[in-house]
Amino acid sequence: MANKLRTGAMTRAGGKWACGLLALLLSGGVAQAQDLSLENARISLLPGDMPGAGYFSLQNDGAEDVTLVGAQSDAFENTEIHMSMEKDGMASMHAVPEIDIAAGQRFEFAPKGYHLMFMHRAAPLEVGDDVEVVLHFADGQQLPATFEVVSPTAMH
Amino acid sequence: MLKWLSPIILSALLAGCEDPNWHTSDISDIMPDLDLSLVDENGEQVEEDAYTGKTTLLYFGYTHCPDVCPTSLARMTAAIKKLDESARDDIQVLFVSVDPERDTPARLRQYTDVFGPQFIGLTGNTEQLDELTNRYRVSYGYGDKDANGNYDVSHSSGIFVFNAQGDARLLMRNSDPIPSMVSDLKRLMARG
Ligand SMILES: [Cu+2]
Repeated sequence: MANKLRTGAMTRAGGKWACGLLALLLSGGVAQAQDLSLENARISLLPGDMPGAGYFSLQNDGAEDVTLVGAQSDAFENTEIHMSMEKDGMASMHAVPEIDIAAGQRFEFAPKGYHLMFMHRAAPLEVGDDVEVVLHFADGQQLPATFEVVSPTAMH
Repeated sequence: MLKWLSPIILSALLAGCEDPNWHTSDISDIMPDLDLSLVDENGEQVEEDAYTGKTTLLYFGYTHCPDVCPTSLARMTAAIKKLDESARDDIQVLFVSVDPERDTPARLRQYTDVFGPQFIGLTGNTEQLDELTNRYRVSYGYGDKDANGNYDVSHSSGIFVFNAQGDARLLMRNSDPIPSMVSDLKRLMARG
């Protein structure tokens, strides 16, 4: 009888502990996602199947540094992190595997610098449309964001 | 005394060499007049005489460039919009693609339409492109193809500006603010 009771109490305590851990993990996850935020997210889109450029301002309000390792959108077959460079009057662009954003820092994806290169749209898009994009980080975090489609003439 | 005077003398000398009223770079003495043989966005073979009579901006790029090229063209669009309405018919932008493998005339037309009626797409074979880029002492190059067949193209980033007679006059860089471009375009269109 006493044994049974104890077991029951143990189980309840164990259940509580598991729930607490789950709650901790969940709140931890939520808090982490809230530490990262995107502002002014937009895609400058060219006509037809020409690639688009994604620009935004990424703020890391967390206590930890994060590393952006990629982005994905169902609206495009391929999304890469790119960087444009200008040197001695020559412009070039290349893929960038990852970008570190230190705790408390803001990182700008802006014209003539870092951009997400969106290639091969899955369906036609128009200026004013919203595109869902998920940013991926090295620690497994994912940051979903809505990008607005804008005309390239709005970027200067 | 001489030590602090010399910078003043130097700047006075420099001011004498460079017209202080231009905001962008004067290339009148160092670049040749407009001379080209290319294919336009309608698939027609064209030469420079097709473009005389208007102030001409010449820019090298490619349509698979989502960042630098559209941003540069958007700056030109913004500058042209700042001109008097009547003047906007007297200016044209030649967008020369150095990526003829992907940039067909039809694709160039679709691309330039985004930026305004002043924009004309051009391209050519390697020989024609080399002749033009060598003439203005710029270059271009291709990166390796990735798994999807995409490749990056390096190209010059400046805008060469010619007067209505096709004489080289100015070089506008990405670092030149739009009001400087507008001011110089107005001055060039007024005086040639
Ligand atoms: Cu890119």
